[in-house]
Amino acid sequence: MTLKVYADRMSQPSRAVIIFCKINGIEFEEVKIDISRRQHRTPEFEEINPMKKVPAIVDGRFKLFESHAIMIYLAYVFPGVADHWYPADLSKRAKIHSVLDWHHSNLRHGAATYVLNSTLGPALGRPLNPKAAAEGEKILSESLAKIESVWLKGNGRFLLGSLQPSIADLSLVCEIMQLEVVNEKDRDRILGPHKKVLKWINDTKNATRPHFDEVHSVLFKVKEKLKRLQSGGAKDETQSTLKSALHSKM
Amino acid sequence: MKKVPAIVDGRFKLFESHAIMIYLAYVFPGVADHWYPADLSKRAKIHSVLDWHHSNLRHGAATYVLNSTLGPALGRPLNPKAAAEGEKILSESLAKIESVWLKGNGRFLLGSLQPSIADLSLVCEIMQLEVVNEKDRDRILGPHKKVLKWINDTKNATRPHFDEVHSVLFKVKEKLKRLQSGGAKDETQSTLKSALHSKM
Repeated sequence: MTLKVYADRMSQPSRAVIIFCKINGIEFEEVKIDISRRQHRTPEFEEINPMKKVPAIVDGRFKLFESHAIMIYLAYVFPGVADHWYPADLSKRAKIHSVLDWHHSNLRHGAATYVLNSTLGPALGRPLNPKAAAEGEKILSESLAKIESVWLKGNGRFLLGSLQPSIADLSLVCEIMQLEVVNEKDRDRILGPHKKVLKWINDTKNATRPHFDEVHSVLFKVKEKLKRLQSGGAKDETQSTLKSALHSKM
Repeated sequence: MKKVPAIVDGRFKLFESHAIMIYLAYVFPGVADHWYPADLSKRAKIHSVLDWHHSNLRHGAATYVLNSTLGPALGRPLNPKAAAEGEKILSESLAKIESVWLKGNGRFLLGSLQPSIADLSLVCEIMQLEVVNEKDRDRILGPHKKVLKWINDTKNATRPHFDEVHSVLFKVKEKLKRLQSGGAKDETQSTLKSALHSKM
């Protein structure tokens, strides 16, 4: 029975799991759970993940949620997964756990809060909130600085001085990619100063091609649609405007 | 990152408590399997709880305790609005612990008969509520009987160390109670700092 991955490609951790599976040749069935259509709140999906979030997997009769736990589990059970994704070396592995733990309350917290409150909220039934967006941006910027000064120290192109990417690179880069839907000016203001981060994003993209761009294509479609709607005079990111951006076929 | 805890093992430095406990479970042969099982499915579920913890129980509890009680001791003003937001996340998290993580036959998370590092991490987080005034603590924790039992089971499974390590919390709690009943109604920075620094 094939592995099932329940995901919404608009969800950062969903993308990390999907790219991880594709780059490692793990056979799976992607089951789309559309958050903007509230498919995560159905009783059927609640059976899969009682926390009602994506991503989640079902492997045979084994259900699991939380993207870091999922990628670690898949690295263990699928023999084709190269060691650099989740090394057997205990010290390297411990450092990867350290980044993954740090991520939740720092990069993810900042980036998700900022993107939700500045841009994507209405597509998910929530109003924009400039004050919350500003607080999120502060944490996001501090986190990007820490990535440069701490996690990207060393000789490698990837986190923790590695010459090859790990699940930590995938998780954090997919989070930062969510900024693609934010308007260009703000995105450049936030990311622009962090040259090391920009290079690292590119290195991660190259190390996982062609899957990285393919999995992220939904983000770029939403971004284009938002730009067209906004230049067409729809100055308010109303719920219907953004929902149509997410649902329109391109 | 200028945070605790952190460890140094020989020349190896590590921070983030979950990463630390996993590393120690690996490298110290005396650690019993139930803390971080070799079974990959059990281990994956423990990772799942530990991941969930950051943005749920920890986020809610720490926000609530900081903004309702401990802030001034750390140079930050109290913030009732932030405390209320924290309490909401905390209460939702306690409900999720009861309905999801404590389902099953065991006394511990994930239906286990013995505690894992996940039990230790989450219970220590909830213990921080000890410094909050009794009335609020009972309001928040009181409805969650399964959680209260689980805290007790975890305490018993790790005795005598659990109470010994938590003794500082109880000292701060006593001191805060004395300062508050003595008429110091504002949790001023100096009031709380003296609570943390006084020798008892």
